[in-house]
Amino acid sequence: MADAPPTPPPSDPSARGPDPLMDSGARALADALRSSFVIVRVIMVVLVLIFLGSGLQVVEPQDRGLVLRFGRPVQTSPGALLEPGPHWALPYPIDEMVRIPIGQVQSVSSSVGWYAGTAAQEASGQLPPPGPSLDPAREGYVLTADENIIHVRGTLRYRISEPGLSYQFDFADATNMVRNAFDNALVYAAVHYRVDDALTRDAVGFREQVRMRLDQLIGLYGLGIMVDQVELQVVPPRRLAAPFAAVLEAEINRSRTINDARSYASRTVSQARAEAEAIKSDGTSKRKRLVEFVAAEARRFEQLLPSYERNPELFVQQHKTEVLLRVLTNAAERILLPARRGQKPYELRLQLSRAPKIRNPVPPPPPDDHGDEH
Amino acid sequence: MKKRNPLAMVIGGILLVVFGLLLFMYQVRVTEVAVVTTFGKPTRQVTEPGAYFKWPWPFQKVHTFDKRIHNFESRFEQGFTSDGYSLLIMVYAGWRIEDSMVFFPRFRGGSLSEAEKSLEGLVRNAYNGVVGNHPLSDFISTDTNQLKYVQIEQEILERVREDAAASGYGVEVAFLGIKRLGLPESVTEAVFKRMESERQVLIDEIKYDGEQQASAIRTAANLESARLVTEAQAEATRLISQGQAEAAKYFEVFERNPKLANFLLKLSGLEAFLKDKTTLVLDPNTSPLELLLNEPSTPSGD
Repeated sequence: MADAPPTPPPSDPSARGPDPLMDSGARALADALRSSFVIVRVIMVVLVLIFLGSGLQVVEPQDRGLVLRFGRPVQTSPGALLEPGPHWALPYPIDEMVRIPIGQVQSVSSSVGWYAGTAAQEASGQLPPPGPSLDPAREGYVLTADENIIHVRGTLRYRISEPGLSYQFDFADATNMVRNAFDNALVYAAVHYRVDDALTRDAVGFREQVRMRLDQLIGLYGLGIMVDQVELQVVPPRRLAAPFAAVLEAEINRSRTINDARSYASRTVSQARAEAEAIKSDGTSKRKRLVEFVAAEARRFEQLLPSYERNPELFVQQHKTEVLLRVLTNAAERILLPARRGQKPYELRLQLSRAPKIRNPVPPPPPDDHGDEH
Repeated sequence: MKKRNPLAMVIGGILLVVFGLLLFMYQVRVTEVAVVTTFGKPTRQVTEPGAYFKWPWPFQKVHTFDKRIHNFESRFEQGFTSDGYSLLIMVYAGWRIEDSMVFFPRFRGGSLSEAEKSLEGLVRNAYNGVVGNHPLSDFISTDTNQLKYVQIEQEILERVREDAAASGYGVEVAFLGIKRLGLPESVTEAVFKRMESERQVLIDEIKYDGEQQASAIRTAANLESARLVTEAQAEATRLISQGQAEAAKYFEVFERNPKLANFLLKLSGLEAFLKDKTTLVLDPNTSPLELLLNEPSTPSGD
């Protein structure tokens, strides 16, 4: 471009003879060559820049970086991995940047113990009906300690633990290795558990067993991962769903029966307790009354004793009469019958009814009595 | 021309060096192991990662292999336990190239899939042999002490290792585990029948247990209430007799004149007895009433 202005106008050489024409052609060729050299040079510079720039690598936030120099890890000590951010590594044949997804939760699922049926069939509830037996080629299951068959599947979430070299470089297919360990843990836990323990009574223990076995295997195989979470789904065989449900129902009924008995028990005992309290307080008040009564009698006795000793005869007479009068005043009916000496006693008839009516005593009328007397 | 020469020389030199390095050097990655062949014969094994020298192509050639642990899974196959039960078993194993100098010539081009095929035979022999040495109760048992699950895995592993070492494949089995255990299809049907009847037994047991527990609770409650009432009655009796004992200390007061005491007791008893609505039938000669009668009428009775 910069060379363009010095070249003479093209009309000029064309107007002259062949010599100038040749000259201008050679010159055009030289110009073209020169400009293409410039382009090649620019391209080369760009390529070199790109080559050098390829050493700049970015480690993503969930990853850690590791440089292999001539295939040998540079950062081998734990904690020496490259933090997220831009890093410089030498270009291709020398350095290779490996990204290890430490911190990223990965998951594998196990379905060696699960019955046949696609996820779509399961979601729509259109699983093929369970047959009378399980074809081992199609249907997965695990065996329990008491030789029962159950289905189990699970999801294992794990993370690569620092430095992650073994997970990254020691296994051709680390994910499948983890899955195998998980499968093994499920089979292992199942043969250590009875069917009811695995299903209902000790589901937590079952999961712990799986996890324990997993940790053991991870250590044994040197997988270099940490188990985050184990999710399990344990179900009875589909064919026996109804009998298993019936057992659960029986268990519910049992606890209801026991609860009924408990509430009866607490009711009965609290009633008895109330009754006992009543009996005791009755006893207390009886005792109190008795003591108070005797005490009152004693006080009265002491008050009366001097006057009695002064004249016993008079005292007795007076008090007897006083009481008798009071009694007579209070009495609902009073009947006087004179005593008859030497004759047969009066015959007095009383009609007693359940609710005694005192109004109707049936003594012979007094006039008759008098008549008899005469 | 003179100006360009040194730059061209430098570039040319660099290119030459790079080309030479490509010819004379090779890299072994951390995941790899390399075998160097000289005129087609394996002469050198490189297990440590890094960059190494070699003679260029017509003389030496480098073959690299994946030295990582590979995953192997057997088929789900039937075996017979020592007590005659048939059991389906599937194992997985992690294996790797142990000696690439042996491995490389053994399998064409160091093919991993060829090696796996050979390994499958080894593993099958091993677990068939081991399963046949154990009764079913070593695999499945309610008695945890009797279970030999881990031991069986270990036995299979050891046997596979022995066989692998003897066979000279140049591979090593790092670990091995059971992936699936199962029963033949015909047996599962019988298992289902047994499970079903076990469920029924369990239902009956639960029902019986519930009733038993409930009646035990009721009986205990009844006994407890009876005990409470009886104790309360005993306590009440004790209280009353205590009251009587307390009252007894007043007797010495009454002892000063028993006659009066008895008289007063009779009086108050009488009054209490006749307190409510009563009908009295009296002889008019009773103490205060005799006043009502005339003086002579008394003797008129004759």
